[in-house]
Amino acid sequence: MDLDALMRCVGTTSCIVTQLTSGMIIGMLLFLIASGVTLIFGVLNVINFAHGSLYMIGAYAAWTFYQLTGSYFISAFGAAVAVGILGIAFERFLMSKVYGSNVLMQLLVCYAVVLISDDLIKIIWGPVSLSMGMPVEFRLPPLRFFGGVVPPFYIFMIVAAMAIGLLLWLVIARTRFGNIVRAAAVNGPMVSALGIRVNLYYAAVFGIGSALAGAAGALAAPVRSLTPGMGFSILIESFIVTVIGGMGSIVGAFVASIIIGLTRSFGSIGFPLFVDGVMFLIMALVLIFKPSGLFGRPHNR
Amino acid sequence: MSSIGSRRSASRRQILKGAGVLAMTGVVGTPAIVKGQSGAIKIGVPTVLSGRVAILGQSSVGGLKVVFDKVNEAGGINGRKIELVVRDSKGAPQEAAKVTRDLINNDGCQIIIDAEASSGAFAVQEVIREIGVLCIHSNSETSSLTADPKLHVPTAFRTARQGIHDAIGGGDYAAKIAKAKGLKKWATCSPDYAYGRSNTAEFMEYAKHFDGNIQVVEESWPKLFQPDYTEVVTKVLNAKADAMYSALWGGDLVAFIDQANLYGLFDKQASFMVNLGDYGVVDQVKQFPQGVYSGGRYNRTVPPTKENEDWYQNYVKTQKHKPTNWSWENDVAAQMVVEALKKTNGDTNGKKLAEAIKGMTIKTQFGVGGSVTMRAEDNTLVNYIIGYGLSLSKEPYIADFQTSPWEPIYELEKQWKKKQGYA
Amino acid sequence: MTGRWRDLAWAGAGLIALLLVPVFGAPPAIRDFIMFGMAYGLLAMSLNLLIGYSGLVSFGHAMFFASGAYAFGLAMQSGKFSIPAAFALAIVFTAALALIVGAICVRLNEIYFAFLTLAFQMLFYNVILGWVSFTGGDQGLMGGIPRPKFLGIDLADRTQLYVFCCVAFIICIAILRQLVTSPFGYTLRLIRDNQERAAFLGVNVPLVKLTCFVISACVAGVGGILLTLFVSGAYPNFGFWTTSGEAIFMILLGGSNVFLGPLVGTVILRLLNDITVTYTSHTELVLGIVILILVLGLRKGPLDLIAERLENRRQAAAQAVRDAADAGAAETRKGGS
Repeated sequence: MDLDALMRCVGTTSCIVTQLTSGMIIGMLLFLIASGVTLIFGVLNVINFAHGSLYMIGAYAAWTFYQLTGSYFISAFGAAVAVGILGIAFERFLMSKVYGSNVLMQLLVCYAVVLISDDLIKIIWGPVSLSMGMPVEFRLPPLRFFGGVVPPFYIFMIVAAMAIGLLLWLVIARTRFGNIVRAAAVNGPMVSALGIRVNLYYAAVFGIGSALAGAAGALAAPVRSLTPGMGFSILIESFIVTVIGGMGSIVGAFVASIIIGLTRSFGSIGFPLFVDGVMFLIMALVLIFKPSGLFGRPHNR
Repeated sequence: MSSIGSRRSASRRQILKGAGVLAMTGVVGTPAIVKGQSGAIKIGVPTVLSGRVAILGQSSVGGLKVVFDKVNEAGGINGRKIELVVRDSKGAPQEAAKVTRDLINNDGCQIIIDAEASSGAFAVQEVIREIGVLCIHSNSETSSLTADPKLHVPTAFRTARQGIHDAIGGGDYAAKIAKAKGLKKWATCSPDYAYGRSNTAEFMEYAKHFDGNIQVVEESWPKLFQPDYTEVVTKVLNAKADAMYSALWGGDLVAFIDQANLYGLFDKQASFMVNLGDYGVVDQVKQFPQGVYSGGRYNRTVPPTKENEDWYQNYVKTQKHKPTNWSWENDVAAQMVVEALKKTNGDTNGKKLAEAIKGMTIKTQFGVGGSVTMRAEDNTLVNYIIGYGLSLSKEPYIADFQTSPWEPIYELEKQWKKKQGYA
Repeated sequence: MTGRWRDLAWAGAGLIALLLVPVFGAPPAIRDFIMFGMAYGLLAMSLNLLIGYSGLVSFGHAMFFASGAYAFGLAMQSGKFSIPAAFALAIVFTAALALIVGAICVRLNEIYFAFLTLAFQMLFYNVILGWVSFTGGDQGLMGGIPRPKFLGIDLADRTQLYVFCCVAFIICIAILRQLVTSPFGYTLRLIRDNQERAAFLGVNVPLVKLTCFVISACVAGVGGILLTLFVSGAYPNFGFWTTSGEAIFMILLGGSNVFLGPLVGTVILRLLNDITVTYTSHTELVLGIVILILVLGLRKGPLDLIAERLENRRQAAAQAVRDAADAGAAETRKGGS
């Protein structure tokens, strides 16, 4: 515990600005992944434990596209699309087979996919960690606000993640597609009875959720090292976010991501050795006092 | 797409193989299917081949193979071939213990070369204490493994670097630069686990020992394998230190440098990163910072001899990847085992081999002046090359490499042991 | 009553069979395999008391595996306890921990229960990792676990250790068996199948769940103690979520509706692990594919499948007998008329 250091930090604007933005950086990437998890859960009622692997594949795909094209934006877009397609295949060929069965069966299928994709990554890209490096467009000196330092790439990352999140929210809340998806979330058989092919919508939702993970991987690729198993830790954090925000709530995921991001950034100063512990503590407290999460509707299954 | 098809068939084959073995186990009752003794000397290698540190296992096994293949080509030891049996512990200590026991009891391995990461090495040590075969820890750098008499096992040795040696050598180097450039305020940034903590504490202790003006103003401890270092980078940035020390390694170090670059962290301070020099790290960093000092790990130009260059070329040709620090440590382990076997005439009795290895000196380019010694008093390797240099973005990746002399290291190590209550 | 004696006879037979293994000169590797399997087997069996019998899907069961291991290891390393005392201490500690965690968790249903147990497990894991001076942090309990002699038993000897583990294991399994066949066990299943009805019938649901949670945790703790004795150390990953995950796979691989299903699953997973580790460097790939085949192909544990088949056949046979009887009755009726 070093609360003095925390107080000292809160006392200076430069420290506040830097830590606030670093909290947002961590949080927004987490939000992209968690929003996929929460979307899939909200609509399909399955927990995609393999979401971290989709993030990993997104990062590796972006790396490969970048080697081929040399353009970061094309690579990021390509990675999101590729992982989206992969997600649809995963849903059609594997996950759809265990809908309605025990949550443990779903867990098992996802675990198998995690194991297989980790090993395939190792076979295709090798066990050595890879690094994409900062795209030339973003090799700029950091910007300064009130004495705090913010790198341009991170501004892009935060804006991109927020834009994608907003787009997702608009699609779900304002479009015909979104109406059907929301209806299917509440009562799939009923929507199906109306002559709508619900299965297609399920696959599409899974694809969108996966593409979000792919996009997150692509956004992370320039700054994080690519290794087999890199989806592991991010998976657990995205679950914390999903649970705190409320399973099925995109707004909740957004708020919870920021909470976790700030816990990390300020926690690293105030209680560096127990940051992970505090994240789980928050999750436990939310589950104890409001099991459906901050923004979730009470959910009975 | 076609590659996916072929992969699928490969996995199907593996399943069939697995199913066959399963059926066979039903009959025999155990996966103990020892493929004909043929008088080979079997050496078991518990290591990590999966997950984030798979490279550890791969480059360790590479280092062993280079030596044993050569011995086997030359006819083996008294006509007996050396056979390596490598097992993946997946980085879990209890699996490491189980795998090691199986290698000895089940596969008939008479010698263990423990290429585990640190916590696995401690688990293996306990197995060796009980069974008493020869064991060489080739990767664990944690000082206490051999330095703490409570953990001592007569037939267990270490050919890996020992943390305290690196710390003294590095501290000396850092102090010289600190004095010349007036680097007084230091920050540290090391992974939050035993290796990172003890390595960093020891390094700073000796930096302070050699330069009394040095003080540590900020410590940060990212988790091992943490994907994002932003909050750590900004924390170090806020400290406004003159210099930073980091014991991060592998992909974590690459990610840290990439992310720290965004904040221009390296322009603001001198940085000492002990593990930067390894291939697989230094050649992965895309935007290489200026004025960064790295510890010696393995480098083809250290020492700048033909022997070393040949070793490097041969390694890359036969193992299809660049050698790492783990490769040379395992190379030395393999050479010592071979020498000991020659001395005992192929007898694999743990006690006899241990006797042969105790105090053994072998010729190798990885040693200062061309030799390394297995120190008899605490079963750990000494006189290997330790040093620091300026990191470069291109081959040879390191400049002005300064080899630390061993005399002061011995001296200070003695004092350190007394202080720890080890001697 | 006869069922109870039959179960005890089975337990005795199982123990004798296990004890005969070393007598027949089996190589030490088989003994190791069995000991390792027994430790994980207890973890899986105890978890199935929650998952299979009570419908409580816990993602955090490994916490108690670790708490047993660490409490026992630390007590032994302190040098102040004999092995039986440390054993008892570890179980008491685990029970106390389970009482606190369980009291908070059992109020939640399904997935929320799962996540809350996961959260507590990770908290516990982080405490082990962070409290370096006490637990050794990520390096675990180093330097071996001392095993002083007690009552003439020397656990430093592998054969005696083997016997000790077998006895502890069989006792735990017998306790679990007694539990699930007792009225308490039927109450658990009633809660699993219909919680409201159980409450309506006057069952104190939270209390029953909590009792079950604590007992199950204690058995997992014994598993942890056995593993600590086997590897002569305790490590944080005993309590990591992947260990809980592994236990769940053991249950699913074996079958959750047959009493010994998780144990079969343990053997399958351990064998699978040992074989893939021995014959390929792509353990993950092979394990993943096998799991997919099992889940998508069989859709349940092999033992469950066999049990179901047997049940179907038994019913078919009963039906056939009934049909025959009916036909006979009709025949006599016809004859009589």
